[in-house]
Amino acid sequence: MSPNSREILQVSGLPPEGAKLSRIWDWCVVAAVALLFMGAIHLHVMLTVGDWDMFVDWKDRQYWVLVVPVSMLMIPAALQGVFWHYFRLPIGMTLGAVLLLIATWITRIVGWHIWGYFPFTMGVPSTILAGAMACDAVLLIVRSSLLTSTFGGFLFALLFFPSNWPSLAAYFLPVEHQGMVASVADMIGYAFPRSGTPEYIRLIERGTLRTYEGSTVWVSTFFAGIICIFMHMIWWQVGLLFSTQKFVPTSKRFRRFVGLADAPQPAAKA
Amino acid sequence: MQSNACAPGRLLPALIFVLMSAQALPAAAHGERAQEPYLRTRTAHWYDVKWSTDKLSVNDTVTVTGRFRLFHDWPDAVKPPDTVFVSNATPGPVFARVDSSLNGVPARQSFRDLQIGRDYEYKMVLQGRVPGRYHVHPMIAVKGSGPLVGPGKWIEVTGNQADFTYPLKAISGENIENVETWGLSTAVKWHLILLAIAAAWILWWIRRPLLIPRYLALKKEREDLLTTNVDLAVAIGLLVVVVALSFGGYAWARSKYPRTVPLQAGTMYTAPLPAQPKVVDIRFKEARYDVPGRSMRMTFDVTNVSDKPLRLGEFATASIRFINQNLPAARANVAPDYPHDVVARTGLAIADDIEIKPGETRTLKVDATDAAWEIERLTSFLTDVDSKFGGLLFFFDAQGNRYLAEVGGPILPVFRKTV
Amino acid sequence: MSDTTHAIPAPGIAAQQTADDRKPGYYVRFNLFALGVVVMVVMFAAYRMYQQVYAWNFGLDATSPEFDRYWMTLLKIQLPVLFGAGFVCWAYLWITRDRNLAALKPKVELRRYLTFTLWLVAYTLAIYFIGSFFAEGDAVWHQTVMRDTPFTPSHIVLFYACIPTYIFFSVGGFIYAMTRLPAFSRGVSVAHVLAVLGPVLILPNLGFNEWGHAFWLTEEIFSHPLHWGFVVLGWNALALPGVALQIIQRMVPLFHEVFDNTQAAQTA
Repeated sequence: MSPNSREILQVSGLPPEGAKLSRIWDWCVVAAVALLFMGAIHLHVMLTVGDWDMFVDWKDRQYWVLVVPVSMLMIPAALQGVFWHYFRLPIGMTLGAVLLLIATWITRIVGWHIWGYFPFTMGVPSTILAGAMACDAVLLIVRSSLLTSTFGGFLFALLFFPSNWPSLAAYFLPVEHQGMVASVADMIGYAFPRSGTPEYIRLIERGTLRTYEGSTVWVSTFFAGIICIFMHMIWWQVGLLFSTQKFVPTSKRFRRFVGLADAPQPAAKA
Repeated sequence: MQSNACAPGRLLPALIFVLMSAQALPAAAHGERAQEPYLRTRTAHWYDVKWSTDKLSVNDTVTVTGRFRLFHDWPDAVKPPDTVFVSNATPGPVFARVDSSLNGVPARQSFRDLQIGRDYEYKMVLQGRVPGRYHVHPMIAVKGSGPLVGPGKWIEVTGNQADFTYPLKAISGENIENVETWGLSTAVKWHLILLAIAAAWILWWIRRPLLIPRYLALKKEREDLLTTNVDLAVAIGLLVVVVALSFGGYAWARSKYPRTVPLQAGTMYTAPLPAQPKVVDIRFKEARYDVPGRSMRMTFDVTNVSDKPLRLGEFATASIRFINQNLPAARANVAPDYPHDVVARTGLAIADDIEIKPGETRTLKVDATDAAWEIERLTSFLTDVDSKFGGLLFFFDAQGNRYLAEVGGPILPVFRKTV
Repeated sequence: MSDTTHAIPAPGIAAQQTADDRKPGYYVRFNLFALGVVVMVVMFAAYRMYQQVYAWNFGLDATSPEFDRYWMTLLKIQLPVLFGAGFVCWAYLWITRDRNLAALKPKVELRRYLTFTLWLVAYTLAIYFIGSFFAEGDAVWHQTVMRDTPFTPSHIVLFYACIPTYIFFSVGGFIYAMTRLPAFSRGVSVAHVLAVLGPVLILPNLGFNEWGHAFWLTEEIFSHPLHWGFVVLGWNALALPGVALQIIQRMVPLFHEVFDNTQAAQTA
């Protein structure tokens, strides 16, 4: 154990046995947090931006770049707030991003590929790992939720597209099919039929009206950055709100059922 | 020699492997039977559907062709076919789409503005991918209404899924050996790199006393202990690494693939097939469905407005075909390899089944009886809020030429068996 | 996962018992927790394998007799079994509640807090299966076949097996806390209510979801607003950290009571 850790334990005033139990309790909480937020964050993302994340032929320049970081920021930002506020742990965003990516890959393998026969290339997930780590680092550097929202939130969105392009660029090569241009992503979506996802249902860029010469993705990124600033502020507070430690007093009748001292006691039992 | 092949230690993983990769056995319908009858009988009527083969190997192709008529009495609850995607109903990507068209126009993108009352030519080329036996249907999807499915035929795919390839050649020159695996190793490696850095950051913190001690130290205003200068240095390093990696990775990807295109999103348009000359006027009178007798009885007036005598040869609805067995031309219109489970065995019974002369108006009483009504769940006419049906009538002249007409109207149930 | 109080040890064996009850193993009992985890994992693994074999073979057409035999039968068995197990467990927890919490010894209370923590860990494992594992499986299934029944092979597991399972643990943990821990009996934990009630309300929201799918949603968009009820209810997962903080706030004084002053703890 490092001197710093020893000093923390000493300052905490925990008896040695308490410190041991506390460490066991830590790992129980680690397991619980990992399982809970793999489920919660994955479900949240699935039902808000899932189609963009599940399918390579939904990863466009207008909506994917905008809605996915905004959605994926929410619960991790709340976690960041809770971990920092009560424990000064700058790991909430990173933890959320890691859990999401692991949970996503598990279902891509077990669900899409083994059950549904879909190729992995159809479902290469987006990742917010880079932006999440950057946001956690910013938090530790500035030690302020407001500044973290402003700089970390914006950076989170800014890093989304560049940090995903290495894994996705290969799917946007042009091919010719039926005498027309298609991206490899379009071809993957076309080749492996999804009866519930006809082509028209894709909520993707259907054409810009201005000549931005292909840099529309940065316009979407900038907009996403602005939204992420406010989304981070809101969700940091949401995290703190949900972590309320309030109790609402129970009724006297209930307290009698469990024999609490401040309730009228029944006749003494053996 | 003793074999321990049956030891439980080996059996369980083998069992798991077998179960996890179990192949599909014959599957019948894919849910179209649960679609409402008004949807199946008053939207897209499929005819002349052909499958080029019923057995192929992995990587071989099967071509499905056919036509569909968009019924004139389109149901209120179904959105008009303003945006349509040409698709296929198969249990998942057990086949890969290679080519498709609508009236010869490429159909990878969706189509706009299809016209009710007109016909379209469908074509789909599918490549065998996963061995098994599957029900393969043509299908169109209408925006806001979903799939409209045609008749299905069992197609068997033999071979080994591992042999499947779907190669492409990029216009920019890259050779894509198989889209199933293209770019995957890069994506996985990239994710692993990011995950490793993230895991290291998390471990940096959780290796120390984690929750209660930190909580207490913070309460005692000793947060100086909780985040040290070393932690700060690591955070700065992390920030630099992550930003550099992101933009560095981006630059690398751009240099490796300098020519990329965005997702393609335009819609296609095709005029419908030329309208056939009108040969009959149909005036619907009544239709009853005999529930216990599994029989639909229609009465309608037919006026022959052509210059040739005509006979009614077929009534088709919801992919079920009722053939007038007394008319050779109608029988010849059923291909020998057409799926027999959607061709009614008893066929079509027509009272007064003689030629309708040019200019003549005849009242036809037609009886379509078959268990298929029940099997296809079309008897849920009774639970429809819109109790109307529709179908196609096929008339034939003496030379065996075929003419289409639509028929449809309200349908009444009969609960007493009258057949 | 119930517990009893301990009598004051006889002087002769006080030293050994003192050593024993300073060890973590005295307070953290993994046996029932491990059993619960193993049962859950085996059950869900079996469900997944069942889906692998029988979904394609007999699950594509809800009108077929095979669908009835392999899927509807499963549904009819699992619902009473899983909910029934829950009712039995909760009734047991209530009946065996501590009826004299005023006399609860600190050692026992500490042990119960750790047991309560394990209830929550088991709960989170069930949440993982519904929120991630089988939920995306649902996306897979609805891309491959037309939705022709609310009881698809995916839904039968995702909704009608996973939901009763996590309710078993969430309500079980809630009753455990309220009947065995003074802090949670003296007051209802708002965070705990949110963490339990949010996911429980997924069941009625399911009604709304199926209604929407039956009447107006024709294509399969996972991000559709129809599904956002599940999203909002899922946010209640953020309340569990609140429960963790409540546990910390009572466990810390207990550490001191139990380990700083062993005599006092034993004779309390």
